[in-house]
Amino acid sequence: MAFIDARTLPDASRIQADLLIIGGGLAGITLAKELAGGALKVAILESGGRELDMEIQGLYAGSAMVRAPDNPDKPFDDYPAQSRARVLGGSGMIWGGKCAPLDPADFAARPWAPRSGWPVTREQMQGFYDRACDLLEIPRFDRDNTLLKDPTRTPLALDAEDGFFSAPRAFTRYSGGSDKAAFDRFRTDFADAANITVYLHANVTQIRLNPTGDQVEGLDVACLDGKRHTASGKTYVLAVGGIENVRLLLASNGVHKAGVGNAHDLVGRFFQGHVTYSVDGDAESEASAVHVSRDAPMGLYLNPTRTSPHCVLASGAPAQERMGAGNFTVTLYAADETGIAQADTKALRQVATTLDGGTSGGGQLLGCFAMSEHFPNPDSRVTLDASAKDPLGMPRIRLEWTYGKTDWDSLERSTAGFGDALGAAGQGRFCWPIKRSQLLAISSASRHHMGTTRMNADPKRGVVDPDLKVHGTGNLYVAGSSVFPTSGIANPTLTILALVMRLADHLKQELGADR
Amino acid sequence: MTALARRDLLAALFVVTASAGLPSLAAAVPSNPKARLFGDLDLTAAARVGEAWLAGRAPTTVTALAARLFPRGREPEALSALRRAVADDFRRGAVFVHRGWRLSDTEGALFGLLALEAR
Repeated sequence: MAFIDARTLPDASRIQADLLIIGGGLAGITLAKELAGGALKVAILESGGRELDMEIQGLYAGSAMVRAPDNPDKPFDDYPAQSRARVLGGSGMIWGGKCAPLDPADFAARPWAPRSGWPVTREQMQGFYDRACDLLEIPRFDRDNTLLKDPTRTPLALDAEDGFFSAPRAFTRYSGGSDKAAFDRFRTDFADAANITVYLHANVTQIRLNPTGDQVEGLDVACLDGKRHTASGKTYVLAVGGIENVRLLLASNGVHKAGVGNAHDLVGRFFQGHVTYSVDGDAESEASAVHVSRDAPMGLYLNPTRTSPHCVLASGAPAQERMGAGNFTVTLYAADETGIAQADTKALRQVATTLDGGTSGGGQLLGCFAMSEHFPNPDSRVTLDASAKDPLGMPRIRLEWTYGKTDWDSLERSTAGFGDALGAAGQGRFCWPIKRSQLLAISSASRHHMGTTRMNADPKRGVVDPDLKVHGTGNLYVAGSSVFPTSGIANPTLTILALVMRLADHLKQELGADR
Repeated sequence: MTALARRDLLAALFVVTASAGLPSLAAAVPSNPKARLFGDLDLTAAARVGEAWLAGRAPTTVTALAARLFPRGREPEALSALRRAVADDFRRGAVFVHRGWRLSDTEGALFGLLALEAR
């Protein structure tokens, strides 16, 4: 129906809808798209406007520290503000558009992976993944697999018994980093529907519960210009990201002192991120690298523009089980051999090429980075810093991003396993010159915030139930990667959208809007 | 092993490679077998890799390594056997890591043999 700037409303306005979506990022927008044109009156409350604004972005500022065994702590205070975007479209505005589903193993309970197992299987998610792919106008994973059918882009001949495989990634144009005009349409067109209203510059600062604390009664809404409003509805969906979801739940402590949905002290715990590990080579030291013994082009794996469909090399469930490791991928990229090829490297590559079957061109040297699943860890958490508040009076966040020994063990077992699989198949050799004590320093963080309101049927083990409803709160749901019990390796957006499709179906049924 | 024997070994490896019908190597003619087998292999660098493999292992000899790597002599099947040994090594975790490169123990032994010959 409309976009409304909340600053233009009379002070103390009362916003009403059947469904209130807190956050106009990709999760909130996708939910609204699913409900557009239906019977439910839907309102989105978005903190930002249509363009990035540094004053609004400053509301995200907080503190962060990354900790890991055998490594010095890594201060990361810029991360809370720089790893997300507080604007209509959310972090989709700065997203590169890379899409991949989580692997079947990511959904499974893996005895060797602590706290693993989703209350939904990949098979049950397939239809929702397909719908998410259709929305983003990319091929359907596992159904189309067009990338792996291209005869001009042959995969490495890894042995299936070794458990590593080529996993495709695709790119949508519907991201701010890919096609701004297309993304502008994506983040606004749904509001043409008569049942949708989007309120911009509308910051939700409090989720208000009824006196018994089991229902949301309303929301406090604040504008940076000083206006204050309220919003109320039948049902509420919290969709402001993996860090901010926590902030709002914990800060909403008017009835439950520990915050909403936090009866078992789980909100904010189990923060998981994605990081890449790699080093460059120089005259003295090797780079993280893959020698490929074949001369055939490696276009299936290379992504020179960072926007091309490509594959990564990934470990499947059997390999993970054998290695006692989590998910793991190696991403290849073109390397400048002149800068990193040492005499020893050249010699061992020549011998490896011969032993692998010989090629006239001597094979190829490629750079690579590794990604390794960050296991859920209760000490990896987002908390509130009561001593620091933003201009709206909201406590700022403190992120303690924590790795355990099992994370490093998993990474190192996986790098070894990958090198063994590559060599055993006669496809090449792997170089991993990185010591455990270097890992944190050479890691590079993605903007993926997962696990902080994890999904589990047991209220003692999860913040939301399998329908994404907050345990103990009858009309509040959470959308976004904060509900992921485990993080896998894949970029989370496609899974976020697939879960939102699933939530939309549930809400339609729950609210009688499917009839 | 004498220098002549070393050339014999490399030449033999070339012959078995050619016999295996591998496309790129089979077409080559070994005017310099050593160079043709491993391209322009830098024997100094190869020996350095080999010395790293030898370090920390029980002392061995050219004879012992040659017997391990070529138990049936330098027959046409030798390179195929080496390839199988490399795959087996990787699958049972018998590896040698040099400057971060993860190599099979068999490859390490090959470099070790070259290093011993170069001493």
